[in-house]
Amino acid sequence: MIFREVEDRDLITKARRGDVESYNLLISRWDRRIFNYLLRLVKDREDARDLAQDVFLKAYQNLNKLEDPSKFSPWLYRIAHNEAYSLLRKNRPETEMGEERAQSMPGRRMLPIEVGLAVSTALGRLTEDQREAVVLKIYEGFKFEEMAEILETPVSTVKSRLYTALDLLKESLAPIQLRGVE
Amino acid sequence: MSCLPFNIKDYFFGELPTQDRRTVDLHLASCPNCQEELDALNLTQNALLMVRDEEPPSRIAFVSDKVFEPRWYQSLWNSAPKMAFASSAILAAAILVHGLELNRPVAVVSKPSQSSITEAEVATRVEAAVQKAVAESEARQTVKLQQVVGQQRKMESDYKAQMLQVEDSYRMLRRSIAPRDLAAANFTRGEGQ
Repeated sequence: MIFREVEDRDLITKARRGDVESYNLLISRWDRRIFNYLLRLVKDREDARDLAQDVFLKAYQNLNKLEDPSKFSPWLYRIAHNEAYSLLRKNRPETEMGEERAQSMPGRRMLPIEVGLAVSTALGRLTEDQREAVVLKIYEGFKFEEMAEILETPVSTVKSRLYTALDLLKESLAPIQLRGVE
Repeated sequence: MSCLPFNIKDYFFGELPTQDRRTVDLHLASCPNCQEELDALNLTQNALLMVRDEEPPSRIAFVSDKVFEPRWYQSLWNSAPKMAFASSAILAAAILVHGLELNRPVAVVSKPSQSSITEAEVATRVEAAVQKAVAESEARQTVKLQQVVGQQRKMESDYKAQMLQVEDSYRMLRRSIAPRDLAAANFTRGEGQ
């Protein structure tokens, strides 16, 4: 992680001088993570891809405003958060996910694809704020302080959203835990 | 959870200070409820992580755009190593070209018209050139001689003028001191008597 930060800093410095290739290299290190973060928030591959492009374009245009290059990651996620919420606000009321229940076929171990569906359904039942807290913590591995920075909310709020979400997920995903995965 | 002064989720996410972590570690060994809560969190997280990251449908990349490119002076300012390399490359190229030029065999240009010139013509031309050069030299010498003679004459006339001035001055001096000489002579004579 330290090496990654050092290299990111170097690439950021070069990109700030107008070196597009360095910026492309920086993108290649982050686009998969940003795409998946957006995908888990907006739940649509095309939207996630378009948003990711917008995120990296905005990041490039505002790279000189990034005061501390070591904070590139939370800064980038902050841009992604804004882009995702801008789209989610536009698309409201939110399309409900399917109501398939994981326990619809009791007594059999679940296939990985069924687990994936169950997880998507469970995540879809969370509010946007809760889902984002889960994504940032579980999938992206941010610390609470960093999450607070990205979401521009106090740490206590971040924790509250995350812990409520975890309690809900624990209930929703209980069948997986009971039946196991093949 | 209620039996601990900390939230076990903070412990689960590794966001408790070391001392508090030790306290929870000790507590978990003797509290099945908290252990169960911790296991449930682990299972939930594992279930979530079973959904792997997806590959983006296409790679994102930018091409250089004039709008975002730095101005020429910024590029120049920020590219000292590049400039140094470019200068070295140009210098190396110049040396190489110069070296190749030196080693290139001199092209022999045949001039058929020259071969037809006879020795007599050459001699005539050489003589004419020599005569011309001599004439030019003599002319230069004559001009120089005239200048020297002129200077000499001027010096002589100046000298004569100065001598005349000296003579005039002498005469005037003689005229002014003659009465004094006479008086002095009379005085000397009077003392002698």
